[in-house]
Amino acid sequence: MAIVIDPQERELRALGRVARWKRRRVLEIGCGDGRLTLRLASLGARVSALDPDPAHLRKARASLTLRAAQCITYRVGQAERLPYRAREFDIVVFAWSL
Amino acid sequence: MVHALREAHRVLRTGGIVVDLRPAAKHRRVGLGKGSGWRLAGVMRESFDKDRAADRAVSQVVRADLFRRGATVEFPVDREMDTIGDFLGWLKDFGGRRPMSSHVWLIDRLQRKLVTKDASIVVRGTLKLQVLYKAE
Repeated sequence: MAIVIDPQERELRALGRVARWKRRRVLEIGCGDGRLTLRLASLGARVSALDPDPAHLRKARASLTLRAAQCITYRVGQAERLPYRAREFDIVVFAWSL
Repeated sequence: MVHALREAHRVLRTGGIVVDLRPAAKHRRVGLGKGSGWRLAGVMRESFDKDRAADRAVSQVVRADLFRRGATVEFPVDREMDTIGDFLGWLKDFGGRRPMSSHVWLIDRLQRKLVTKDASIVVRGTLKLQVLYKAE
């Protein structure tokens, strides 16, 4: 099975245009299998990625490279009750989750 | 959705932003072939009720002075699939995220076309990216 999403990387370019990501603390809500998480990390962000489905997170963790693992943490949780302190992030990304 | 945006406001530092990335309320087009060789097979029939609800939630938190609107951009995104099985898997996942009517007609059409043409199945959609600035 092979599905290639956004081979032209237009999503990555659009994200790069709207914000500075390098060394920013980013919360990604609804990370799913971690496809976008890896792209955010490639922009230099330190990403906390949240999803309500543990099965999705298992898949996401399985696709983590050693390098990406240094700037990505995955956590199970709900968008309506974020398990984080106030004022902890520079950017919150709703990835298909709003 | 409004609760989620309020939570985002809580965890954002002063001057922080929300990036709302989701499919635009436009029907996806499914075809065969990549790049300039892409040929339309059919246009999907999705419901945009969830998108409208999300738009209303954003408007609500802007009206409540939690966020200010920033840039909004839309851009095309392709999904390239090798087999009809890949397409069926994607369709099942996509249908779980947003309501839509049956697409048996589209599957039949793709299968007929794939008999005479060995090509990738490519779904062309539009993503919307919206920036919201945290207001204090």
